[in-house]
Amino acid sequence: MRDLDFTTVFILAQKELRDARRNRWFLLYAAAFAGLSLGLAALALSGAGNYGLAGFGRTSASLINLILLIVPLMGLTLGALSLAGEREKGTLLYLLAQPVTQLELLLGKFVGLALALMAAIALGFGLTGLLIGVNGGGAQVTTYLGLLLLTCLLVLVSLSLGFLLSALVQRGATAVGLALFLWLGLTIFGDLGLMGTALILRLNVDQLFALALINPLQLFKITAVFNIRQNLELLGPAGIYAIRTYGSQLLPLLIGLLTLWIIAPFLVAIQLFKRKGVL
Amino acid sequence: MNGKRLSVGLIGLLLWLSGAWGVGSGAWGVAYALLPTPHSLQSPSIPAEGLAQAIAAAAPGDLINVQGGVYSGHLLIDKPLTLIGHDWPVIDGGGEGSVVQITAPGTTVRGFLVQNSGDSLDQENTGIVVEAPNTLVEDNRFEQTLFGIYLRQANNSVVRGNLIHSKPLDVPRRGDGIRVWYSNDVLIENNTVEMGRDVVLWYSERLTVRGNVVNNGRYGLHFMYCDDAHIVQNRLTNNSVGAFLMYSRRMIMENNTVAGNRGPSGYGIGLKDMDDAIVRDNLFLDNRVGAYLDGSPREVDSIGHFQRNVFGYNDIGVEMMPAVRHNEFMGNSFVDNDEQVAIAGGGSSAANNSWTVADQGNYWSDYAGFDANGDGFGDIAYSSERLFENLVAREPNLRLFLYSPAINTLDFAAKAFPIVRPQPKLVDERPFMTPIIPSQVPALPRAAVSWWFVAAFLLLFLALGIVQLSRLRQHPYRFPQLEKQV
Repeated sequence: MRDLDFTTVFILAQKELRDARRNRWFLLYAAAFAGLSLGLAALALSGAGNYGLAGFGRTSASLINLILLIVPLMGLTLGALSLAGEREKGTLLYLLAQPVTQLELLLGKFVGLALALMAAIALGFGLTGLLIGVNGGGAQVTTYLGLLLLTCLLVLVSLSLGFLLSALVQRGATAVGLALFLWLGLTIFGDLGLMGTALILRLNVDQLFALALINPLQLFKITAVFNIRQNLELLGPAGIYAIRTYGSQLLPLLIGLLTLWIIAPFLVAIQLFKRKGVL
Repeated sequence: MNGKRLSVGLIGLLLWLSGAWGVGSGAWGVAYALLPTPHSLQSPSIPAEGLAQAIAAAAPGDLINVQGGVYSGHLLIDKPLTLIGHDWPVIDGGGEGSVVQITAPGTTVRGFLVQNSGDSLDQENTGIVVEAPNTLVEDNRFEQTLFGIYLRQANNSVVRGNLIHSKPLDVPRRGDGIRVWYSNDVLIENNTVEMGRDVVLWYSERLTVRGNVVNNGRYGLHFMYCDDAHIVQNRLTNNSVGAFLMYSRRMIMENNTVAGNRGPSGYGIGLKDMDDAIVRDNLFLDNRVGAYLDGSPREVDSIGHFQRNVFGYNDIGVEMMPAVRHNEFMGNSFVDNDEQVAIAGGGSSAANNSWTVADQGNYWSDYAGFDANGDGFGDIAYSSERLFENLVAREPNLRLFLYSPAINTLDFAAKAFPIVRPQPKLVDERPFMTPIIPSQVPALPRAAVSWWFVAAFLLLFLALGIVQLSRLRQHPYRFPQLEKQV
């Protein structure tokens, strides 16, 4: 039996892209991301410009904060809606009545949504980059592109997690609810919990660093800081510990863990989807 | 069709913009590129290797013009002469010892390229050693010299307009671009020191250090026991420490630009046991720590003055040791530092240092108050009390969570529920509503901007391309027999 035909995957991805262009949530996210990053950059640059400091460094710091909030929200909710929404509407059944396998459907949806989200991110970064250029730039355009690539990784991570939630539950509303819950956990409560734990249990730097790496958002943030500064002094003793311990292995380690966060949830989602079927 | 025309238009715009911006972007920071490259022009009046004989033959007070050429070996100037180089005559030390030694007061050396000293730190191999007062070392270039210019007991000397590069060794194995040792009333002006170790000024009183550029070294300026020094309009960038001032009295540092000094120490300016220092109208930007205070001032009746400086975009604006007291901060602008003021080890410095002087406070970019009566000052006090900073001071490991949205939540919670509000680090009763920007400071070099436009347009294209992808037609299942019939 035919299991995977890339032409079919491509057609499904195209369909997903077309759907995304009509999806009000997606358009809202894209506009919000572009608007907020432009606003933040304008704010940071208008101040820095007064001192002749063409500082992308500062812009990037506020960008990291924005990305940490909004990008996982985009990936998680859109991913969560992808299967559950269509399952609820019955269109999933209709799709799978065509000569299309479950794997092809899942891959096509993932690729389509991933492309749509990356387009939104590229749009936001492109417009913000123009603004930074007009305001006198900064030498580190490669750093900026590095941050863009990391943001793409982060959106893939959250999309993959969204797919997992979507394969898990029956109804779209439940999936989105779960996605929002997970988003809160990853952005805020996970870190707060870890901070509390560190304070109470007096965790060592190595323990703290290892525990922080469990959260993909922390992974992204640490990698982004490393990308901007080429070291982790900014993150205090734990950052210095990480550099001392892993040295040049640190970046591959961080990127590898992020990639793992993309692949693993998606694989589980595939298994769940296959076992559960379309209904 | 429409999409295609759009793409062509965008490409055109992209090329035009990158061209237009590229023109302005090439010329910054490299003043020495304008100097002619040295060449071995043979001078008719003085043959190569004849410079020493010329000096030996000259009477005290003579003027010697040197036209180009390469003069190998070590030069001793032991009578007061004026040596003027034209077309960059080269004095080449051949990789051993110091190149030029001046022992006669009142000597002038101008317009030479001094190169290839030895690389022994013990023997302090130097480009030009000055061991006599009233000497002028002006408009020379130094290449491959371990130490550049060394003033040793050379009161009233002037070092002006020199360009100094050390040897391309590891930073600790390089020498000092300029070293001033037991030399009072010296003027160090408009020099550029790049890729050196430190610029060191020790045991010298009434120094003036003005208009110099120190880049990519370890200590931009390092003062010890230099009472009454005046540091003005220097640009200290990308060193480990911009300026470290130690064990001196009545120093004035004003109108300097101190930026991008990072690394494990990474201070814009450090003050150690400094009495009655005045630090005013400086820019401290993008350093790890803008200003670091340790034991300053030292004496009980002495006061440290910090006026109208900008501490902007540093990881920490001002950091002080817990015992630091008697500093007065007035009219400074604290702009978007990750942490505006830090007390190493936590605690409060409010009782020991003044943040409002003569009814004037400072500008704080994170001030959330208002100015109802329009006098330019906020009507409620600024108090620095971020819960996260408080936690980090207690448990430094938590700095790992910087930039996390959880931090914003935590600080918001602390504001909303005062029961967890930390003890304020400092209180400013009369905060300024707008920052004060010093005007007489050296400008920072502008960075190249064209690549930003290239990258930005590529990204916009990419986004456009992905959208277009959904329009692409695919015919995966064709039935040729059917098509033939039609």
